[in-house]
Amino acid sequence: MYQSWILLGKEKGITDLEVFAVRNKSLKLSVYEGKVDQHVQSDVEVVTIRGIVENKLSTIRFENLSQTNVSEMLDQLILNAKALTVVEPAIIYEGSKSYPEVKDELFDFGSVPVIDKINLLKNLESKILENKKVKQVQSTQYQEIDTETTLVNSKGLNLSRHNTYAYAYAIGVFAENEDIQTAYDVKLAKTFDEFDADKMAQKTIDIGVKKLGGKSIPSGHYKTVFSNEMFADLLSVFTSIFSGESAYRNMTSLKDKVGKEIADKRFNLIDDPLFKDALFKMPFDDEGVACSKRYVIENGVFKGFNHNLKTAAIFKESPTGNGFHGSIAPTNLYLEPGQKSFDEMISTIKEGVYITDLVGLHAGVKQVSGDFSLQASGFKIKDGKLDHAVKMIVISGNFFKAINDIDEIGSDLKFTIQGVGSPSVSFKSLVVGGE
Amino acid sequence: MIEKKVLETLLNEALKTGADFAEIFIEDTKSNVIRVTSGDVTSIDRGNTYGAGIRLIQGLDEVYGYTNDMSYEKLLELVINLRASFEGAPKKSVPLGESKPFTYDIKRPMKSVSIEEKSKKLQDLSLKMKNHDARIVQAITQLIENEQSILVCNSKGIYQDDVRTYTRAVFMAVAQENGLMQQAFEGPGRYMGYEIFDVIDADKIATDVATSAITLLTAEDIEPQNMPVVLHNGFGGVIFHEACGHPLEATSVAKGLSPFVGKVGEKIGSDIVTAYDDGDVAGAWGRLSFDDEGMKTQKNLLIENGVLKGYLIDYRNGIKMGMEPTGSARRQSYKFSPTSRMNSTYIAPGKDKFEDIIKDTKYGLFAKKLGGGTVVPATGEFNFAVQEGYMIEDGKLTRPVRGAMLIGHGKDVLFKIDRVADNLEFGQGMCGSLSGSIPVDVGQPTIRVSSMTVGGSGGKK
Repeated sequence: MYQSWILLGKEKGITDLEVFAVRNKSLKLSVYEGKVDQHVQSDVEVVTIRGIVENKLSTIRFENLSQTNVSEMLDQLILNAKALTVVEPAIIYEGSKSYPEVKDELFDFGSVPVIDKINLLKNLESKILENKKVKQVQSTQYQEIDTETTLVNSKGLNLSRHNTYAYAYAIGVFAENEDIQTAYDVKLAKTFDEFDADKMAQKTIDIGVKKLGGKSIPSGHYKTVFSNEMFADLLSVFTSIFSGESAYRNMTSLKDKVGKEIADKRFNLIDDPLFKDALFKMPFDDEGVACSKRYVIENGVFKGFNHNLKTAAIFKESPTGNGFHGSIAPTNLYLEPGQKSFDEMISTIKEGVYITDLVGLHAGVKQVSGDFSLQASGFKIKDGKLDHAVKMIVISGNFFKAINDIDEIGSDLKFTIQGVGSPSVSFKSLVVGGE
Repeated sequence: MIEKKVLETLLNEALKTGADFAEIFIEDTKSNVIRVTSGDVTSIDRGNTYGAGIRLIQGLDEVYGYTNDMSYEKLLELVINLRASFEGAPKKSVPLGESKPFTYDIKRPMKSVSIEEKSKKLQDLSLKMKNHDARIVQAITQLIENEQSILVCNSKGIYQDDVRTYTRAVFMAVAQENGLMQQAFEGPGRYMGYEIFDVIDADKIATDVATSAITLLTAEDIEPQNMPVVLHNGFGGVIFHEACGHPLEATSVAKGLSPFVGKVGEKIGSDIVTAYDDGDVAGAWGRLSFDDEGMKTQKNLLIENGVLKGYLIDYRNGIKMGMEPTGSARRQSYKFSPTSRMNSTYIAPGKDKFEDIIKDTKYGLFAKKLGGGTVVPATGEFNFAVQEGYMIEDGKLTRPVRGAMLIGHGKDVLFKIDRVADNLEFGQGMCGSLSGSIPVDVGQPTIRVSSMTVGGSGGKK
């Protein structure tokens, strides 16, 4: 099918073209009050075709795979490409010399009976409800995803990758006096055995109970520790600053910083497509470029931008295998862990704040300037220990200043579902808006 | 699309194992995005969303499935997989009725205007921003066009099609000076075609966005504090959207996850607050002729003089709550089961004048433009970012401030609204929730909240 579309495109006058097809099969379940609340199954194939006309590249993306529609879409691609006014490097890739091998065995989540998955959620819900401080379980969710990706182009490249994973969580609503808090912990898994309702419930309860009784704290400057997940979340909204496209478009303040020190010497930011514990392992990117491990920041020095084929050509560098979703994105980006455990990290803090929740990351962050101002909650740190819970505060700072103002980097590396990993990180001083 | 008879067969197949409701939603959406960067047309992407979503309900239990393979065999296979979740005596589907005429008042649909004409317009606007000031280093304009054709039918005899045309113009400017970069954004959208440019003042918006980015260069970081906040009209309505709109959706109410559960008829805000959610405002970004369950959209009164009057309800949550649906069922695409969502949500205009509200505020923050926000329905806690703000000192707007983040509780903030002006306007956004990302209007006149927690990184070090 894909080859015939390539031929059709060539016949219509497209110089070179590439078919990128993603077939996603998924099952999503949710249990509420002991009953199945949501049961969603899906099977969708989305095709993206990139084509070059008059040395300009344009993209079409479609789900109607009928011959008539494909033909119409290809006509549209030609019209759109011709209307572009700027000639940028337009490349359909002939392929890398070699590709890394992903050795993971793929677990077939579909082979586990649906009833087992429902029972996982039922158990998870009922175990959480056993705790007296739990008012209700707002929702539970299990999702398994099977993704098959195929890339075929007119330069003879024909690649495929296949991935399966699942995740599950429950959101508990905890109450004490007038205070209401929600808590959850997302468990990511490569095999179904990894889900353990008892452990997952306990984790959620631990998080929720601790959050109760939280209060605001006076506004001011505090030593601030971000939990591993929260710093990973913050990193994930800032990934665009490392993109070659942002550099080309003047949308990153790192533009002239390649080779320069931009962070504390202990700050090592790594993009590793094949990281051993990663959920998604990437042998090649969405343009067919082989992926490989690289330092984005090494000993505080910015090593260079993530590139796709276009931006690599513009900057006369090699593509880094970061061409994803029609743009540029890291694969498994993570901050290299340090030596200290979390307890050791906070043991020297006389007064500070530990951030375990950030709300509104899509709104409170300015990637270009690095400024962030975010609703947060967590714990007060007093005399080296966690004190009372803290809620309804705003934590503010500047990302670029903060990574130069690091106190400690912990050893507790954790990856989030966004594919970004971090250990806990403490900063010498950030601004808290509270009472 | 699929023939009516085939749909009836599939609905009957769906009811064979005891489900008491079956629904098929079919979609064919065409989209086009043109992007111009500092005068250059840098990308034009064409997209197509196409597929079917099938929903079965027994009692309150729901199963949903979707696919982009619309062959009868594949759809039947999906139906058989879905109905396997239920057990019971087979039921019969009501024969499908006639589609009601939907409003189609689009003057210049996507296809009728050439790519060149659209590109030229975007290039002019981009250059207008770029040439506004030498410190503008990047000026991006985008035209996002969507034309969604849908057909929804169900075992209760509903058979309804609709064509929704959404067009949005995006303006973004980045200013740079002494290594400092600031950005400003505006994104007017309408339930219209290319005629959007006849109703918005695009040149003025371009100038305003460029001015805003420049202003931010000299703004001071705000010092965290509690103070009165004057929220300007238009996109300022995002406060009501986050803090009150979401908790009034049946999605939260039916599960008891909202501070407004069981409060209909009770006072939930100050006397001067009246609010609506309207699904049928002509030309509005949040508009639909028929909702995604095939029900005619309507104007829903939410709050009247501070008293809670109603919720936003979809079919399934309506059963749970024992209440009638309000024409509020929406979904991003066939990949989502529909649920109660907002359309054009706004606080009704009051009698105050904008100038008087500023004049009567001794000290506070004037939030001229807001960015996005979030709410956790269970706790009612919300936050939203101020994109452009000014300090109010002795009844006058003084210095620009940046980095302000407002936080609060939905149930408190409504009581703290102490002034409502007469200048209602709408702002446009994309709202993300259970059933995906959908276009919505937020709206309000200028209002004052007597006290809010304002976060920021300024002040003494």
